[in-house]
Amino acid sequence: MNSVIQTLLIGVIIGSLYGLVALGFGLIMGVMKFVNIAHGSFIIIGGFISYWLFTFLGIDPYLSIPLVMIGMFVMGLVLYQLLFSPLLKLPRPEMRLDKSLLITFGVIWILDNIETLIWTPNARTIITSYSASTLNIAGIRLSYTGLIGLGIAVMAAVALHFTLTRTYFGKHVRAASEDSGAASLSGINVRRVYLISCGIAAALAGVAGAVIVTSYSITPSSGLSWLLTAMVVIVLAGEGNITYILPAGIVLGVIQSASTLVVSPAYQQPIALIIFILILMIRPHGLFASR
Amino acid sequence: MLDVSHIDVYYGDLQALWDVSLTIEDSRIATLVGSNGAGKSTVMKSISGLLRPKTGKIFFNGVRLDKIPAHRIVELGISMVPEGRRLFPRMSILENLEVGASPEPARKMRQDTLAWIYEVFPILKERSKQRAGTLSGGEQQMLAIGRALMSQPKLLLIDEMSLGLSPIVVREISRVLRDINKTKKLTILLVEQDVQLALSLADVGYVIENGRIVGQGSASDLRCSEQVKEAYLGISSAGKAD
Repeated sequence: MNSVIQTLLIGVIIGSLYGLVALGFGLIMGVMKFVNIAHGSFIIIGGFISYWLFTFLGIDPYLSIPLVMIGMFVMGLVLYQLLFSPLLKLPRPEMRLDKSLLITFGVIWILDNIETLIWTPNARTIITSYSASTLNIAGIRLSYTGLIGLGIAVMAAVALHFTLTRTYFGKHVRAASEDSGAASLSGINVRRVYLISCGIAAALAGVAGAVIVTSYSITPSSGLSWLLTAMVVIVLAGEGNITYILPAGIVLGVIQSASTLVVSPAYQQPIALIIFILILMIRPHGLFASR
Repeated sequence: MLDVSHIDVYYGDLQALWDVSLTIEDSRIATLVGSNGAGKSTVMKSISGLLRPKTGKIFFNGVRLDKIPAHRIVELGISMVPEGRRLFPRMSILENLEVGASPEPARKMRQDTLAWIYEVFPILKERSKQRAGTLSGGEQQMLAIGRALMSQPKLLLIDEMSLGLSPIVVREISRVLRDINKTKKLTILLVEQDVQLALSLADVGYVIENGRIVGQGSASDLRCSEQVKEAYLGISSAGKAD
């Protein structure tokens, strides 16, 4: 019984990380209708920055998260200015999807190669003094890094939720995502909203990277597999439902984890893809969508 | 106040407006009438910055509009109620109104403006927590007007005010507009398919046909003009019948 509960809790922890990975990706997609498939590469860069701050300056990977976020925020602004803002000239917003997909696919190659140049293709991870320690309650063992990761994912999702629902900026973001033309008619500088959203999305990628590098090893090419999971999460949550991204991630994590009780752990990735296809067939607007 | 001079506007390669000029004086209600596809909405979109004229100029109190982005035009004091209302359906009524007060000066006054709009359209106050998408057509139009007023405009553009609304709602909204025009000295440019309604509300009118201004004058003159009578008043009353 304990092993079942443990497996499900590990699913929650992994799932929260899926949610965190998907958060910034979902934000860009929901607000701008851009598919930033290079979001995974951003996450890995965030992880490498965290790795450097730890290795060279000895800063704890969780304490360095604000620094990683600032660096990644700036990267997000650059990405928007260089690649996304020209796409806004497209006559119809629907055309942004495939164009941004192609462009950011190219970005993956560029970023992954830059990462290889800087950080070499070797797998990196951060091992702290507490990396191996676990919390033991009633025979259930959970790693501290996993639990901290869960906490950070929840904090990030809640912070994003409140930013979107309670602040003036957040209302501008939502207005721009529902109808960018009507938003600019209401006096909203839509381009500025897009720019800052892109920065926030990249900063969230940085958070995800910093969390990942404490529990998993990263290489310059490992971004894409995280991104694929993020896409499953977005489909589960329903496009534009940013609030449901973290719950959707946790659902996916728990299902994947529970499957290891029945079949070999090797099937985790295929199971995610089977869920992906099933959701698209049965509830194409997402598991939580009200439409 | 508003001076549109000799604008040509294109959708891609397709020309929609030819040499359109119109002037609106302070605290007047002006209307632009014409049939479907005549270019009324194109004029509105050009003024509000959603479309750029290829040639010609648009001035608002001496400031040239046709080179600045739409959100800056709102800051200058022009607010538009777009055709089809274009609310933010998944946001609450209150949030829709708050978003309307985006320009900096309007943001500071938004509590006062909000109180005033709730007074003008009490139904919006009752439903303030409801999602905008759940409102009826008439309530949506009230919200769209309320949202546009939240930015404290000097000139209000209304594109197709009466479209799809019941006569009672149209009468109510017309009364409110006339009232705001009188008490707040708000200048209004109204685009309307219902020519009778438009000319009864407005002080001055322009007639647009196939992208060209073909007539202008005081509303009472236009109501009597043979050209308008034949082309529009006949059509509009037939349109009401079906």
